Amino acid sequence: MKKNSTQTGRTLQKHSAFKKTEPYIWMLPSIILMAVFIVIPVFTVFRVALSEVSRAGVIKDFNNFDNFMQIFKDSDFHKTLWNTLVWTVSVVGLSTLAGFVIAMVLNVKFPGRKIVRAIVVFPWATSLIIQSVIWKYIIDPNYGSLNVILRKLGIISEKVNWTGSAEAFFTWECWIGIFVTVPFVTFCVLSGLQSIDGELYEAADIDGASFWQQLIHITLPLLKPSLTVSTVLNIIYVFNSFPIVWTISQGDPGDQTHTLATFLYKLQFRYGRGGQAAAVSVVGFVILCVLAGVYMVMTLRAEKEEQ
Amino acid sequence: MDKTLRKKPWKAVLLYLFVFVLCIVILYPYFVMFTTAAKSRNEMYALDMTILPKEWKWSNFTRIWTDAPVLKYFINSLIIAFGSTALAILCGIPAAYALARMRFRAKGFFLGAVIMSQMFAPVVLLVGIYRLMTDMGLVDNIVALILLNAAFNQAFAIWLLRGTFVSISPDMEQAAKIDGCGTVGAMIRVLLPMAAPGIVTTLIFVFINAWNEYTMALTLISTDILKPITVGINVFYGYNMIQWQSLFATSLFATVPVIILFLCIEKHLAAGLTSGGVKG
Repeated sequence: MKKNSTQTGRTLQKHSAFKKTEPYIWMLPSIILMAVFIVIPVFTVFRVALSEVSRAGVIKDFNNFDNFMQIFKDSDFHKTLWNTLVWTVSVVGLSTLAGFVIAMVLNVKFPGRKIVRAIVVFPWATSLIIQSVIWKYIIDPNYGSLNVILRKLGIISEKVNWTGSAEAFFTWECWIGIFVTVPFVTFCVLSGLQSIDGELYEAADIDGASFWQQLIHITLPLLKPSLTVSTVLNIIYVFNSFPIVWTISQGDPGDQTHTLATFLYKLQFRYGRGGQAAAVSVVGFVILCVLAGVYMVMTLRAEKEEQ
Repeated sequence: MDKTLRKKPWKAVLLYLFVFVLCIVILYPYFVMFTTAAKSRNEMYALDMTILPKEWKWSNFTRIWTDAPVLKYFINSLIIAFGSTALAILCGIPAAYALARMRFRAKGFFLGAVIMSQMFAPVVLLVGIYRLMTDMGLVDNIVALILLNAAFNQAFAIWLLRGTFVSISPDMEQAAKIDGCGTVGAMIRVLLPMAAPGIVTTLIFVFINAWNEYTMALTLISTDILKPITVGINVFYGYNMIQWQSLFATSLFATVPVIILFLCIEKHLAAGLTSGGVKG
């Protein structure tokens, strides 16, 4: 009898041990996949950033943050940091604004809405590299399509050099960034709008609330979750985006149009300065981590206020 | 039609004007891609450029298949996209299931880690990825791209799948378990069929991401016939001039199927992305 009860005790114990480990077993394949191909490279990047690296790529000793010193002394890197800020803020900000307006319009029922919705999807579904190549052709000063069309329409009489300066290049890159980011915001906002109860607006109409009052007091607060998701994801993607800048200008002229992603690519694969490239990556992580920290503090504070 | 639109026709006019301009702007690059793809080589750099081709050269669309290993690029893209989608889903379903149905201490940590992993884009990790693949002997190998695309799409796959699983009530699975099904049996026979729309959405989304991936393929693949289409189109960049007509004809073939696939899932996707992460 006694023996029996310890046995059940043991099986129970075994059972609960299994219960505890079971979720991890389910997640194991996924954990392995992400650990090997994401976590290990993250560690390698940190190790390379802190070490002396030969041109052949051999990792040598810890070098007193020399890689970081080098890039922070480099004026091209300062320009790159500034560009990355302008690029992220303008692309995310303007595409959020545009995506919001487009979503509001597409939320109105009108004949042809389905077709318009389908067309808005196009830039989201198209490869960034293909988008970029088309725009590279469009803005080409010699044979680009934009000059041809504007001349045929009589808007300009002479060919315009659309990419005469680093600033011009960079402005186009931001435009393409906005162009490809808007659909994602539009559909996030649309899905949010469609989950809002229409009765709220009817009640507001009866109370005589204007369009703007309804927008500020009903629509925006209820859209907050959708807008948060799209903004957070967009900040990360746009910050790390590579193909647009690389295709349009490769960071040129004079390395003045880089963002962090293209700058580190060029350091690594053109100039063979792997240690400094890794240091740029680390700077990128740190900036994103700081942003994530700020975001978490803000959401925690907002939750406290609500309580 | 919306009530306000019928009452105030000027609003309808404004709306259509807005929508019209919007569509023109969005479709413009696609229009350029199509018309340029059908232009002849001489027209490409001619002085008196026209918007539409003077002579529609439909042969451009057939010539690319023989001028360059375009077919090979497409097959590579298909292998990479199918392979990484299968791997991402096979790893993602059990993980999403655990995160949706089970209670355990580190759950919050894992959900956070999944979102955090999005911060590390392939391009920022290229230095590490390249070294890892050198150590594994997978540089210039399509298998590397399958593994990497699967890994970098795990977060989204788990996110979308978990959102779908959470939205389905666990009652049916409980009933199946009482009838003698194990956890795995209940998941496969009961949950997965009910979650089919969400799973298909995830499949297509991962497929498209892998199909459109550029940066890792550019870095890791150097042998021409191993390149996927996104990198392969560079073949039309000559030293002196770019063969825009071939470049765009190939791009069209690479773009149209993906847009059609995307249109199939567009509705589920936006809803899945915004709800999957928010629901606790």
